[in-house]
Amino acid sequence: MKDQVAVIGVGCTKFGDLFETSYEELICDAAFEAYADAGIDPREIDAAYLGTYLPGPSGGKAAVSLGDALRLYDRPITRVENYCATGTDAFRNGCLAIASGTYDIVLVLGAEKLKDRGGRGLPRLGHPLLAKGNSAPGLFALAANRYMHTFGMGRDVLAKVAVKNHYNGARNPKAHLRMEVTEEKVLNAPMIASPFGLFDCCPTTDGSAAAIICRADIAKRFRSDYVLVKGFGLAVTTGRPYFDPTFDYLGFRSTQMAAQQAYKMANASARDISFAEVHDCFTWTEVSNTEDLGFCAKGEGGKLAVEGRTSLSGDIPINPSGGLKSFGHPIGASGVRMIYECVKQLQGQCGERQVKNPKLGLAHNVGGPGAVSCVIVLGNN
Amino acid sequence: MVGITAYSAYVPRFRLERALISRAWGTAQSAGEIAVANYDEDALTMATEAALACITDGEVPALDGLYFASTSAPYREKQVASVVATACDLSRRTHSADFTGSVRAGVSALIAAVNAVRAGARTDVLVSAAETRLAAPESELEGLLGDAGAALRVGTDNVVAEVVDAAFVSEEFTHLWRTDSQRFLQAFPGKFSNTYGYANDLGEAIRSLLDARRLQPQAIAKLAVYAPDARAAADLAKELGFDPRKQLVSPAVGTIGSAGAADAFLALAAALDDAAPGDFIVVGAYGEGADALLLRVTDELPRRRARRPWKQWLDNKLLLSSYEKYLKFRRVIDLEEPGEAINNVLEFKELKQDIRLYGSGCEACGTVQFPIARVCIQCKARERLTDRKLRKQGTVFTFTIDHLIANVEHPLPMAVIDLEDGGRLYLQVTDFTESEVSIGAPVTLTFRRLHEGGGNHNYFWKARPLR
Repeated sequence: MKDQVAVIGVGCTKFGDLFETSYEELICDAAFEAYADAGIDPREIDAAYLGTYLPGPSGGKAAVSLGDALRLYDRPITRVENYCATGTDAFRNGCLAIASGTYDIVLVLGAEKLKDRGGRGLPRLGHPLLAKGNSAPGLFALAANRYMHTFGMGRDVLAKVAVKNHYNGARNPKAHLRMEVTEEKVLNAPMIASPFGLFDCCPTTDGSAAAIICRADIAKRFRSDYVLVKGFGLAVTTGRPYFDPTFDYLGFRSTQMAAQQAYKMANASARDISFAEVHDCFTWTEVSNTEDLGFCAKGEGGKLAVEGRTSLSGDIPINPSGGLKSFGHPIGASGVRMIYECVKQLQGQCGERQVKNPKLGLAHNVGGPGAVSCVIVLGNN
Repeated sequence: MVGITAYSAYVPRFRLERALISRAWGTAQSAGEIAVANYDEDALTMATEAALACITDGEVPALDGLYFASTSAPYREKQVASVVATACDLSRRTHSADFTGSVRAGVSALIAAVNAVRAGARTDVLVSAAETRLAAPESELEGLLGDAGAALRVGTDNVVAEVVDAAFVSEEFTHLWRTDSQRFLQAFPGKFSNTYGYANDLGEAIRSLLDARRLQPQAIAKLAVYAPDARAAADLAKELGFDPRKQLVSPAVGTIGSAGAADAFLALAAALDDAAPGDFIVVGAYGEGADALLLRVTDELPRRRARRPWKQWLDNKLLLSSYEKYLKFRRVIDLEEPGEAINNVLEFKELKQDIRLYGSGCEACGTVQFPIARVCIQCKARERLTDRKLRKQGTVFTFTIDHLIANVEHPLPMAVIDLEDGGRLYLQVTDFTESEVSIGAPVTLTFRRLHEGGGNHNYFWKARPLR
């Protein structure tokens, strides 16, 4: 680490009772001063680390608070929270990222807005704009309706995704829902948030998954069929897509960008992927994901599903595990659970739902919706 | 010349058929319906709707006064007029005041506005009245009260109806009341109140108004008055020498239920929809006395009638499916209402963005965006964004009809709205039928009670289908 990282610019706001300054403005004030101090263009920033301990009513819960304040999109941003060492740990992560050789320039920023929280800093307070909140299906449904309107797709196509993933999940002993469903059952289920009925939504589930990873050059010491991390990517776009007049609601740029990064790192393309575990929180999300990951063109995801190409025997099996549709989505666990499935598939241990001769498997999460996506490509050694 | 320069009614979309009240209690009810404010409406929101209808969308109005009148304001302590003024994006130098106490409050506020403009103290004053008066279930009043609002703009330019004269009567008479501990409106029953209160007081005010100007009832084109029940106004008109069938504007109590302080304004709005230049209109309000105003229609009226006539307000309606729905909308039934209180510090800081409804316009690329930002979402230009007043008309870019979201009513449509002249919002949709919520559907923004978190009413904008 010695001599590998340098500080090239700093900025700092006034500290005090800043009732007239928002959380995002604090971020802007500190960042702009640092941009100027270092003499850089924000486009040169490869990655950013946001240190905030207590998410407040105006932000701080996730990396999008930094992304939206600075419009610093399409690149990795991480919120670091580590109690009273939050600021210093954010800086540490930035240094590690540089030292790893992945990034050249990193922005590290700490911001905290405690006064908005009331006298004792504890009451939960609502934001006037979004105090009513929303629902997860309601947020994804905004995209689904726009997509279906644009491409003329019907709910029957969504139902086919549910039928396929339930079929796969019924063959997975670790799945939450282990039953097959018919298209008719899916289409006749009660509505949750149009166009999503009950069977278009993944269930609410508890779960856990783990992976042990190590330096590749020592992996042979443990087993011969180890799996290599071939590439990964992470991209952040706006966490308020519903305010973004430039967003077409037809897919998620974050997934597209994360996939591009991962493919590049893996020196592969979508065509080289043997199967994929994608984020099917809702049936439409899977359709869109297959496009955003490059398995087909935008607008062709429905056709891909209808033609059976995403089934276990198709040319690009999607969610051989049964997906979130069968596993539910215990949020922190889902991604690791997908990696578990990729590793087992690559090792040929999936029995009835085994994909034929896989070379590369892909795991994908998207949240927000569309605010952040991460793609991991794994392969046989 | 001082007078009315703009006017508008506001009638909520829902109606309760009186037959459903009969079915619930077995009480006798006349035919027809009463207007019922949606679960997210109250006197504040309806007064805002009526006020906005008197202002050109997208313009910062030159108004310097805003008076709110109601006997059923959502607050016992907290001024409503200043909230309405802020939602209408009026200047901080606006004189705002609430008028209350009796259903005469609407005309009291109107007289105050006329006097202020006459004195040169104000130039352009909006008077907005609205009511959500609550009758005790199974009471005689239940089929008589309706929810509605109406606004009148008073000034000296583009006057459509000059205020010629006024007459007043003031004396204690207990007809309608609600003490500081009562929730439901009380009334002294029977013919006594109509004869010795309403007809006596309002009759005297109107008679003295006509006498002072040496006008016969036949010289008056329209009599636009508050009425406590279906017969009282017609009886009064007859007694004064008017022809009720030709001269009396059908009072709200017969069509949507009496909207108290807004009644006289609603009747005036209905009269102005049809009036011709030169017509005399008598406006009358009652409550512990009476006020009567004489108006003369000017040549400006045909060019400046309400954008939405009274008849359209009556015709565009949705029937409530049950009496219970009405009890729920009016919170006669206690509801668990989810939501956190709006943070006072945040509301203060974001008032211009959230209530006055401003976004940012980019000087570099022209993109209009919401919320107010420091970096452009389109071209990423920094510090080139300036505050931009957003329009209140738009179209649905995408939507969902959400059955899961926490709310007192389901389903709840959520929509992404592209506003005219730019800016995109994410809003609840209200006053809808499901077929009206679709991609490309035109909507208008409406100021509503978003939720009841933290022991307070929390107001924000919603969208409603264009009617």
